[in-house]
Amino acid sequence: MQYGAGANEPVPGVARAEDPLLSDASLVTAARGGDMRAFERLYRTHSGKVMGLCLRMTRRRDVAEDCVQQTFIRAWRNLQAFEGRSAFGTWLHRIAVNEVLSHARNHGTRSESNDEAIENALAEPADGSKEHDAGEVMDVERALATLPEGARHVVVLQAVYGYSHEECADMLGIAVGTCKAQLHRGRRLLRERMGLTAEADDE
Amino acid sequence: MSDQRHKDDPLSQMLASLPREVPPERDLWQGIQAEIAKTPIVTDTAPVVHFASTRWFQIAAGLLLVLATSFTTFVVTRQSMEKDAAMQMAQQQQQSQQQVPMAAPPLNAMPASFGPEVLGAEYMKARSDLNQRFEERIKSLSPSTRAKLERNLADLRHAAEEISKTLAENPSDPLLQDLLMSTYQRELQLLADVSEVPLSNPVRTDL
Repeated sequence: MQYGAGANEPVPGVARAEDPLLSDASLVTAARGGDMRAFERLYRTHSGKVMGLCLRMTRRRDVAEDCVQQTFIRAWRNLQAFEGRSAFGTWLHRIAVNEVLSHARNHGTRSESNDEAIENALAEPADGSKEHDAGEVMDVERALATLPEGARHVVVLQAVYGYSHEECADMLGIAVGTCKAQLHRGRRLLRERMGLTAEADDE
Repeated sequence: MSDQRHKDDPLSQMLASLPREVPPERDLWQGIQAEIAKTPIVTDTAPVVHFASTRWFQIAAGLLLVLATSFTTFVVTRQSMEKDAAMQMAQQQQQSQQQVPMAAPPLNAMPASFGPEVLGAEYMKARSDLNQRFEERIKSLSPSTRAKLERNLADLRHAAEEISKTLAENPSDPLLQDLLMSTYQRELQLLADVSEVPLSNPVRTDL
């Protein structure tokens, strides 16, 4: 399993907005005034990261795409509430995490006890449509997908996207202590499944 | 990564090296656009934020100031010039009648000061009245709202003072003229908004 650059062909006709002259701040300012083109640029800039986050949290591309769509719709409707205290991307990620959690609540897709889904993910054969030329990356991505939901969410947010315990706890609506425990659990499970030697603090 | 203990271990490095961006396989913008077109964004016409609290607000406020006051500047400038011309004509008539030579001021003489008094006695009276009502009404508001409004008013007055000083050095700068007029307008608007607060409503916070 491999996501990200190289794993998917870019959508024809969908180029990313890469205009160094336009900062997120100025695009947000324009979008707040109702400029939809500015908001589209923000979408082009940030949709990849939001998609990566949603996909790793939900493990399902169709669900992740729904969450991405809802994230940007919600962001547009709440642009006035964005105070610029954090980066626009971070604000989007917060909305995206909310969308993923809401989807899980509404559709009962909590996989903490869904052993079948985990087993299926473990047994997922190499699909001809996906490239598996980076063994190490493939392994860690697949192992990540097999983690129980709580641990996976924390590992994705912290170890992949670089959020702190506090930010992660805030996004997920859990205690910081729970966040630390889930990270510890997730790392231990990843080591087991990837055949890595245990770190001292994972013991 | 928050947990520095794990920073250098292979697992952390593998996780951190995973691509963060995963492009959607289909273009989601069409769906997003269709949805947001149904619900136009609610633009914030009267943001209650500190005058210089955020960059976007500074940009937006600057733009708004320039756009909103061009007309007023034109009208005020026109009125001022007409008034000057009328005064000049009256003085010339008086001079010719009295046969006393006097130095007439130039038609478009710019005032030495650009304080609010340049807008005339009527404006000053209205401002004074509003200010009095503002002082009465603001006492009935909650401390936090009161502090916010007083800070906004102080910011506006400070901005007007700064622009006025700069304008004195560059009296023909149209942008500065617009900004000054706009700042006076915003000051009046703030005074008027608070003056409309009923005394029985002590917790209005939407100003």
